[in-house]
Amino acid sequence: MTSPAEHRLLLDGESVSFREGETLFELARRHGDAVPSLCFDDRLEPLGACRLCVVEVEGQARPVASCTTQAADGMVVRTMTEALERHRKALCDLVVSENPAGATIDPLRGSASQELAALAVRYEADGGRFAGARSGASRTDDPNPMILRDYDHCISCYRCVRVCSEQQGDDAITVGGRGFATRITTEFEGPLADSACTFCGQCVQTCPTGALADRRALRHADAPGELAATRSVCPYCGVGCSLDILTKGERIVGVQPAFDGPANEGALCVKGQFAWEWVQHPDRLATPLVREDGELVEASWDEALDRAADGFREAARAHGREAVYAVASGRAPHESAYTIQKLVRTCFQSNHVDNCSRA
Amino acid sequence: MGPSDSDLIDRWRGAPAPLLGLLHAFHDRDGHLSDEALRAVAEGLRVPLADLYGTVSFYHHFSRKSGGRDAPRVCDGPVCKQRGSDVLLAELEGATPMPCAGRCDEPIPVLRGGQVLVGTPGEGLRAAPTPLPPPNPAEGEECCFAHVREEGRSTLAGYGGAYRALARARELGPEALLEELDASGLAGRGGAGFPTARKWRAVREAPGGPKTVVCNADEGEPGCFKDRVLMDHDPHAVLEGMAVAAAATGATRGFVYLRYEYPHTQTVLERAIDEARDELDDFEVCVRRGAGAYICGEETSLLNSLEGAHPFPRNRPPFPVTHGFEQTPTVVNNVETLASVPPIVERGADWYAGLGLGEQRGTKIISLSGDVRRPGNYEVPLGFPLHQLLFDWAGGPEDGRELQAVTMAGLSGGFLGPDDFAATLDEPCLRSRGSFLGAGGVMVFDDRRDMVDVARQAMAFFADESCGKCFPCRIGTQRLTERLAGTAGPTAPDAWRKEVHAIGETMAQVSACGLGIAAPLITESLLRLFPERVDEALARR
Repeated sequence: MTSPAEHRLLLDGESVSFREGETLFELARRHGDAVPSLCFDDRLEPLGACRLCVVEVEGQARPVASCTTQAADGMVVRTMTEALERHRKALCDLVVSENPAGATIDPLRGSASQELAALAVRYEADGGRFAGARSGASRTDDPNPMILRDYDHCISCYRCVRVCSEQQGDDAITVGGRGFATRITTEFEGPLADSACTFCGQCVQTCPTGALADRRALRHADAPGELAATRSVCPYCGVGCSLDILTKGERIVGVQPAFDGPANEGALCVKGQFAWEWVQHPDRLATPLVREDGELVEASWDEALDRAADGFREAARAHGREAVYAVASGRAPHESAYTIQKLVRTCFQSNHVDNCSRA
Repeated sequence: MGPSDSDLIDRWRGAPAPLLGLLHAFHDRDGHLSDEALRAVAEGLRVPLADLYGTVSFYHHFSRKSGGRDAPRVCDGPVCKQRGSDVLLAELEGATPMPCAGRCDEPIPVLRGGQVLVGTPGEGLRAAPTPLPPPNPAEGEECCFAHVREEGRSTLAGYGGAYRALARARELGPEALLEELDASGLAGRGGAGFPTARKWRAVREAPGGPKTVVCNADEGEPGCFKDRVLMDHDPHAVLEGMAVAAAATGATRGFVYLRYEYPHTQTVLERAIDEARDELDDFEVCVRRGAGAYICGEETSLLNSLEGAHPFPRNRPPFPVTHGFEQTPTVVNNVETLASVPPIVERGADWYAGLGLGEQRGTKIISLSGDVRRPGNYEVPLGFPLHQLLFDWAGGPEDGRELQAVTMAGLSGGFLGPDDFAATLDEPCLRSRGSFLGAGGVMVFDDRRDMVDVARQAMAFFADESCGKCFPCRIGTQRLTERLAGTAGPTAPDAWRKEVHAIGETMAQVSACGLGIAAPLITESLLRLFPERVDEALARR
C-alpha cells in the first residue's frame, strides 16, 4: 500500500505536516492555538473579516488572513512576529474602541460571548486608544422574549448572519448598509418575530461579544451562586442534541448547545435552546392530583397510581387490550420514555406507544 | 399603466445576471423600491427577502422612499466641492449629495432620475453631452483616442463598418493573438496593472465554462472620467475589445458592468450591441447597470454584485480567472484596457509598445481635473513627465496661483507635491515616490485649497464607501476621518501623528482589499507634504 505523499511546510521554524485543503489557521491551531480570530467559527465558510488571524507567508507582499489561506507545500509561515502582534493589537484596539463595554460581558449571554473580552485582556485593549464614534444600535424595541439584540456590542463579524444562512438555512437576518454604518438587521428593519427567524438561537451562541444574547438566561444574571455547566442531551425530540445545562446552585439558569455534540455541532432549536424554564416553574405539579366529585385534590402516590391502574384495567376489560395507546411526553427524560414503552408492551401487551416529538 | 410585477419578473427571471436588472425595472417603474416590490423580486427570483433587503441597502442609488429615484443628487466629489457643490445642493429642492459622478471636466453633475444634467451655482441645470478629450497638444500618437473625436464614431458605420481587429484576431488564432498582446505590454488600465495577456491565457487554460468576459465600467474612483468618454464616443472599440477577449479565451458571454451614474452610456452601449450583432456572432453581451457603490469597481465585489450577491469583495485565491462570474473562468478588464485591444491587434504589438517613452510600453489616459486651465482626458505615453502634462498640456494654474498638490490614481494614490512634479507617469516612478498611477485620475489643487480639509473629504469618502467587511478598513477609515476632522482623537501633534500612523500602517498591511490598503496614502502623504498645515489645524482644535 502506498500512502499519499505527505504535505509539509515550515510553521514558525518547525517543519509540520498538513492535510490537503487545511487552512493555515487550522494548522496553526493544531500547533499551539495562539493565532487569534473573532470572525472564525469552525462550522462556517471562513470570511477573512477580522484580520486578526493574519500570518506572514514568505513571498507575499503583505500578511495574509490565515483562515482563508490554504496550506501549500514548502510554504514558510510565521504566526507570531513582532509586526503581526502589533497589527493584532491595533486591530483589537480598533474593535474595542467601538465597543469598550465588550470587556465585561456576562457569560450567560452566549457560548462565545467571552471571545472579545479575552482578546481585550490579551492585547490590553481598554477602548482608550483610537477612541471615536461607536457603531451599532441596540434594538430595545424588539419585544421577543428570547433573543436580546444588543447591537451596541456588535463588531460586524457577521457570524450571526452566516450561521443563520449556512447552518440554519433560515436567512432571517442580513447585513444592512455599508462601512461603519453596517448593521445586522431583518428585512425592513422589523422585529425578529416578523422575520423568517425560528429562534433557534444559533446566532446568539456564535456571537463573540454577546451582542446577541439569551434573554431567558439573562433573567438569572443576578442569581447567587457559581455558574456551572452539566452536559446532557436535549429531552425534546429524537435527534439527540447535546447541550450544557447551566446552573447556579440548584437553579437552572440556561442552556447552551454542545459544540462537540455529534448530532448537533452547536445547533439547537427553539425548544432545546429556550424552553427549559418549565423545569422550575411554580405551576409545575409537585404532588399527584386525583379527581373527587369532579374536583382535583392532592393525593398520595399510592392512591394516584391505584386509581390510574384501575382506570386502565377497566378500559382494557371493556374494549380490549388494544384500546390503550400511550404517548410519551417529549419533556420527560429518556428513562421515562423507556419505562412507558415497557409498560405498554408488558402490561397492555400491545405496541401502541409513541413519543410526542414524532407527531 | 406600467408593466405589472409579473411582466417584469417574467422578463428578467431567465435572463443572465437578473437581479440588478429586475431591481432597476421596479425602481424605474415606481420611482423607488417599495416593500411590495422587494417581496415580489424575492419571490420571483427565489432569493431570501432579508438578503435582498440587505443587498439593496448597500447601494447609494436604490431609493426606498417614494419619489426618491427622481430626487436630484448633486456630485460633491473633491473637484465639484471646489466649484461650489454645497451651494448647488442648497439651491435644488430635495437634493442630496452623491460621491464623484465622473464628470470632473465639466460643471457639477446632477443626477435626476434617468438623466444627468450639469449645473453651476446660480445658473440652473442643463443637459450637456460628454465632452470629447481636448485636442492632443503633442505630436505623439494616441491609441484609444486616435479616432474618438471623429464625427459619428459611436455608430458602426463611423467605426469603419466592421470589426476588423476581431476578424484578424480570429485569423491569428488564440495562441498567436495572446503572443501579440503579450509583446505589446498591455496591462490593466483600471488600476491594478496586471498583464492582460497573462490574464486571458489563464482564462483560456482554465477548465470549466461557460467562460465570461466582464467589462469593468464601474468607474467609481473620484476624479476619473476616462471610461465614460470612451464608451460614449467609441463604444464599438470597447465591444470589439470584449469580442477579441472572447475569441482569445473561448468565452461565450459578456457583461458590461456600468456605473449607475452613467445612464446615457447604457443607451449608447445597448445601441452599439444591437448594431454589432453580426460582428459579435455568438458572443452574447449584456449591459448591467450598477446601483452606486465604489467597492463594486473592485473586480470580485463587482462579480458578487453582478450575481446579485452582497457586494463584499471575495477572498482570493481562487481568482476570477478560474472562479469568476458564477464560479466560472472570467476575464475582468477595464474599459480602457479593452478599448486598447483593437488598435493593438490591427497595428501590432511593436507599434503599441513603441508609443511609450523610455522603457515604458503603450499609453495611459489621464483624467485631469481641478485647478488647471484645461482639464480633461489626455492620453499620454507611459513615462510622460507629470510636469509637462500639468503645465504644458493643461496650461498650469490660473494667473497668480501656484499648484500645491495633485492626487494620483483618483484619490487612492494620495497626494504628490511640487517636488514630485518631476515624476514620470508610470508605475515604477510613481511607486518609488510612495504613490501609484492606478486608473489615472489626477486632481489638481492650487494654493487656495485647505489640504487638511481635502484629505478629510477624501477619507470621509473612503469611510462611506468601505464595504464593511474587514475590520481595519471599516473602523480605520472612520477613525482617520475623525482625526482629520477633529471630532475624536488626540490634539497634541505627536500623539495625533502616532495614532494616525499606527492606524494607517495596520490598514495598509492587513486590509482585505485595495480600498483599505490604499486609503492611508491620503494621511501619509498629507503628513509628508503638509506637516505645518496639519500642525496649524491641530492648533485650532
